[in-house]
Amino acid sequence: MAIGSASNPGIERTSGAFPCLVLVQGQEQKSVVLDHSPFSIGRKIDKDLVISDPRVSRDHALITSEEGTFYVSDQGSKHGTFVNGERVERQKLQRNDRLEFGVRDGAYVIFHPVTATSNTAREFLSQIAGLEISTDTTDLEKLTMFLDAARKLNTTGVLDEILVTVADTTLKLTRAERAYVFLKGEDGSLRLAAGRNSKGEVLIDDTTISHSILDEALHSASEFLVTDTSQSLDLAGRHSIVAYDLRTVICIPLRKPQVQAARRDPVAPSTGSGTEIIGALYVDSRFASRDISSVSNDILRAIATEAAQLVENARLVQAEEESRRYQQELAIASSMQKGLMEVHIPEVPFARVSGRNLQCKEIGGDFYDAVSTEDHFAVFLVDVCGKGVSAALLASTLQGMVYSHLVARMPLAEIVAAVNRFFTQKHLGEKYATMVIARISRDGEMEYVNCGHVPPLLVSQEQVVRPSAGNLPVGLLADATYESSHVQLQRGDRLLLVTDGVTEAENARGDFYENERLEAVAARSSSLDDILSSLANFCGGTPLSDDCTVVELVYTGI
Amino acid sequence: MPLKMESKTVGGVTVVRCIGRIIFGDEAVALRSTLKNILATNKKILLDLSEVSYIDSGGLGTLVGVYSSARSAGAEIKLTGLGQRVRDVLQITKLVTVFEVYDSEPKALAAFH
Repeated sequence: MAIGSASNPGIERTSGAFPCLVLVQGQEQKSVVLDHSPFSIGRKIDKDLVISDPRVSRDHALITSEEGTFYVSDQGSKHGTFVNGERVERQKLQRNDRLEFGVRDGAYVIFHPVTATSNTAREFLSQIAGLEISTDTTDLEKLTMFLDAARKLNTTGVLDEILVTVADTTLKLTRAERAYVFLKGEDGSLRLAAGRNSKGEVLIDDTTISHSILDEALHSASEFLVTDTSQSLDLAGRHSIVAYDLRTVICIPLRKPQVQAARRDPVAPSTGSGTEIIGALYVDSRFASRDISSVSNDILRAIATEAAQLVENARLVQAEEESRRYQQELAIASSMQKGLMEVHIPEVPFARVSGRNLQCKEIGGDFYDAVSTEDHFAVFLVDVCGKGVSAALLASTLQGMVYSHLVARMPLAEIVAAVNRFFTQKHLGEKYATMVIARISRDGEMEYVNCGHVPPLLVSQEQVVRPSAGNLPVGLLADATYESSHVQLQRGDRLLLVTDGVTEAENARGDFYENERLEAVAARSSSLDDILSSLANFCGGTPLSDDCTVVELVYTGI
Repeated sequence: MPLKMESKTVGGVTVVRCIGRIIFGDEAVALRSTLKNILATNKKILLDLSEVSYIDSGGLGTLVGVYSSARSAGAEIKLTGLGQRVRDVLQITKLVTVFEVYDSEPKALAAFH
């Protein structure tokens, strides 16, 4: 059974501002954020949560948010919706409720579980919540409390948690009814990031706030904007204020803290209109509720500065987290690449192949592989120009092409011509590869093609020959032509393929390892380890600047 | 050591003397942008590589890339002053058959006419 989330493919978010659903299926867990209402569940592919099991109906259930409370309602499903084992038509949801859709023995969903990992901010928040703010608490005390919150929260790394806490703390300080935190997206538009009411409930709908005031605050140069509708005569265009009976709206633009600018020009206020806006804090209360227009300006100024600092820090932490995740992705790609490049050398009675590879970066551009067909045995060594991910991508593609063409027993010159055509047609910029393919038959007849590669070493009875026949690298020039060559091998003859990382390995003096040293050691030893240790001795402590690969093909005869 | 490039114009040909290593990264990028800038105004370039101590695969890719796009735009890039190292690399990759290589600057300049 496949489980997918149509609204959030592949993306997992921590929940803090919005409740989440955790899907549990066997050992697998997946978290989906309930960031809109209604949230649909069913087998149909356009559902917010898709559960592809025949026992789940196409339109199975909806989760809706009604004034901060969440309800699940069955949409006439065939096999029913269950909350904590009870079949329900419509049911109010509480944290940790277990939801099942048609399937009683398969996947289930936990509504907004209380997790151990996201509690730091919450715990701290509950401490603050425990403090009753009496009416005679001075502004200074409130300010201290906020600063304290700011300092403590800087140590937590979860952006959503911080935003919720900013909203809650602002509600505490202003004693407003609702608080929303907006963050500016990459496209410059504001996106609701957290919403809370004074009862501590989650608000995910921002249609009932005054967007005109929000806009006005963002375009004004002031630190905050307090709108008391009972004092304001001009309500034209303020639809929300009229429609939702809003009395006081406070809007605080969150401006990127600018330490550098302030230092360069001490006269300029750090919260001037020129500074970049990263978001906004919006609080309001209705006529029916208390008047919040008398909130001290000091408090609002403190919130403006501290909240911006908090959000900015949280964003930095999140960026770090994203880059860490990106690093993980790269590590996965690297291990996949290693898996693809892992060589399984087939055994044939008349030849033997061994290879060694020293990588100087996590993902390298050198690779080799061997293919056996009915009465031929082929080995190829490729060096893709450049390093890192782009080289690895090209390497994987090349490997697949060469491998499959060899299996199809195509002539070597045609294989490299096809690869060259493919890469030059795809316009990969200045990416290309050098390679050698050698294919021997049972009787020792060897065909090889060298495309811009270091000439191979043919070792016959301790004599080293360097066949110089060669062609252009593949991927550089569309009109390149390729020719292969033939050599008759005797039993015991060895063909040694190396990448230029070997011949161009440097020692501390800046000398290259060179062909002479390579040929000398190849002549006297048939062990690849001897070549590598000769290389290591030469380089001393100087790190390799390019991948080094050595592959040996020995014709053992029949 | 960054790649330094000095250029002069001799008889309608821009002679670019490269000093340093032509390698993958900043050096290759610098070479490409310098040559592209020149190609915008002059279609005859002679690259003097006598003070290039080393060229790696990335540098070579850049050189061929600029060379091919110049060719298709009707421009000419010729090479002179190949040191042993650069000559070896062009020999191994058979690119010596692609580029027009001359022993000396006067011979190369004469070949433009």
